[in-house]
Amino acid sequence: MFKFKNQKIALVLFLFSLFYLIMSFNLPRYPYVPVDSNFVPIGLGFILMGLSVGLYFVKDKPMNVKDKMNNKIPKQDLFVLLTVTFMVIVYISLIEVLGFILSTAIFVFICSWFLGYKKHVLNLLVSFIFPVAVYYLFTVGLQVQLPKGILPF
Amino acid sequence: MDAIHGLLTGFQVALSIQGLLFVFIGVAVGTIIGMIPGLGPITAIAVMIPITYGMSPAIALLLMAGVYYGAAYGGSASSILLNAPGVSESVATTFDGYPLAKQGKAGKALAVAAIGSFIGGTISIILLTFLAPFLSKIAISFGPPEYFALMLLGLTALASLSDGSTIKSLISATIGFMFATVGIDAQTGTPRFTFGNIHLLQGIDFLIIALGLFALAEVASLILNRNEKAIDQSKIGSLKLTKKEYKEVAGTIGRQSLLGFLIGVLPGAGGTIASFLAYLSEKRLSKHPEEFGKGSLRGVAAPETANNAASSGAFVPLLSLGIPGSGSTAVMLGALIVLGVQPGPLLVNEHPDIFWGVIASMYIGNIILLILNLPLIPYISKVLKISKPLLISLIIVFCIIGVYGVSFNVFDLYLLIGFGILGFVMRLIDFPAAPFILAFILGGMMEQSLRQSLTISNGSISIFFTSPVALVFIILSFLSFLIPVIQIIRRNNRANSAISKGA
Repeated sequence: MFKFKNQKIALVLFLFSLFYLIMSFNLPRYPYVPVDSNFVPIGLGFILMGLSVGLYFVKDKPMNVKDKMNNKIPKQDLFVLLTVTFMVIVYISLIEVLGFILSTAIFVFICSWFLGYKKHVLNLLVSFIFPVAVYYLFTVGLQVQLPKGILPF
Repeated sequence: MDAIHGLLTGFQVALSIQGLLFVFIGVAVGTIIGMIPGLGPITAIAVMIPITYGMSPAIALLLMAGVYYGAAYGGSASSILLNAPGVSESVATTFDGYPLAKQGKAGKALAVAAIGSFIGGTISIILLTFLAPFLSKIAISFGPPEYFALMLLGLTALASLSDGSTIKSLISATIGFMFATVGIDAQTGTPRFTFGNIHLLQGIDFLIIALGLFALAEVASLILNRNEKAIDQSKIGSLKLTKKEYKEVAGTIGRQSLLGFLIGVLPGAGGTIASFLAYLSEKRLSKHPEEFGKGSLRGVAAPETANNAASSGAFVPLLSLGIPGSGSTAVMLGALIVLGVQPGPLLVNEHPDIFWGVIASMYIGNIILLILNLPLIPYISKVLKISKPLLISLIIVFCIIGVYGVSFNVFDLYLLIGFGILGFVMRLIDFPAAPFILAFILGGMMEQSLRQSLTISNGSISIFFTSPVALVFIILSFLSFLIPVIQIIRRNNRANSAISKGA
């Protein structure tokens, strides 16, 4: 029943629209408003539900061999993607703790290394010059504050 | 007379030293970002928004105009040099641009692209100068029902005209609209879909979605392709065209400037459709159609002229109605709002300085693009040689600064990652992201005008059918809703007949 890619996606979308509809129906109502805040969400929920049913009946297009994106991602690449995502999450959680310069320097150096950048000296240079330059461009030149963190300057 | 006076004031700002400097920076940065495969005008504008915070709106507009044109041209350069179109608008450019590069004539192709873009853009802006104020006058009589119907048409038209499956585009638009409903409802004050999180009360900032769905999702595909070596196109060849070559492309550029503008003005049909139509129509008109696809200069001139004309034409509905017709103009609208400019029919009368400032910026952006890019393109193309691992890390950092600079809030950064993952998954399963961002940006306005209309009519939907303008828009949007249904039926019929033939 859910053999094809489109059918699986349709199922996920159908469940999502159901979830969204339940939440929309549970929004608080006001008696004297002609059009309440749940009006548009309920409409959208039903539209998505209808479209997901429509998608179920659309046949999958044949895969394009040339396009790597359309094929399944090899396990090794998936590991790389997940690791980079993890690194970004760690970077984000440290950005206000360590400050922009330090956390960015560490992130750029490790991430580029991990992705296969071999010129370590150049990497080290870029990792430090780039965040310092960006930090001063934003805080001094553009008056946009970035987290200062533990560095004294 | 008003138009000319307004333009002159606009030019005064644009031609100041500061003005020229920022257009220059905008064009250069835009070209560099646009050249990176996958990153187009949407990412370039989104990344540059935080930089404009401290600036005066007039100068910031100049910077943005430069970024917009620069990114479009950068995309054509990577199509010609690498056969790697960054965005769908420049796919048609690869058909003849890359063969020319392989013959060592990349310089000529780049020059034709720059000249075509310049003329297409300029003709289009001249037409925009006269059409936009005129359309504003008409649009001033539009009430909420007409606006709602027009935005609905914009969304359904984009969904049915965009490349790929229509039903998937419609789903993408619906989900984009759903994300626009997050936050406090403006009319009743009800918090919707916030899950008790105070950071969601204000709704989701469009920059998070633009950077997540486009830039971060592209980073993910860059990671997958990080080991693919770029083909070395160090030999660009002469940029100079002969007289004969100028003659060859002149007609094409003239025709496609007009066609591109007209397509750009239509809601939903943007640079992609314009460039493909231009390519096909020139091939049909040509006495030597067999040259197309093997390195014809006309084959480069046609799509490049048309897509630039279309991207300027798309500013007509944006400036006069306040309604973007495509993903990139939607992000441009977001950028204008950040700068305190609210495009719409009132703009030309209430803030003529800003209205004409935008248009003057576009003229200047286009001219600087030509002056800057023709001589500098061989050097700028060196960007393509930056090692991918380093580039990936730096793009991620820019996305994070972009979001953090708006909200100063780590929660939004996690949301950014969430949308990055969503954007990547959407690519994997072939769901276009442009309808999503357009619906997200239009969503708030659409909901407001829908509810205003229904409040006026006391809840009766007849209000959409009694206004002739709204009725026409509604009928057109329903017609475009029918296209996917017809497609499905036809495809299924074809599949069935194929099975019965096989049996």
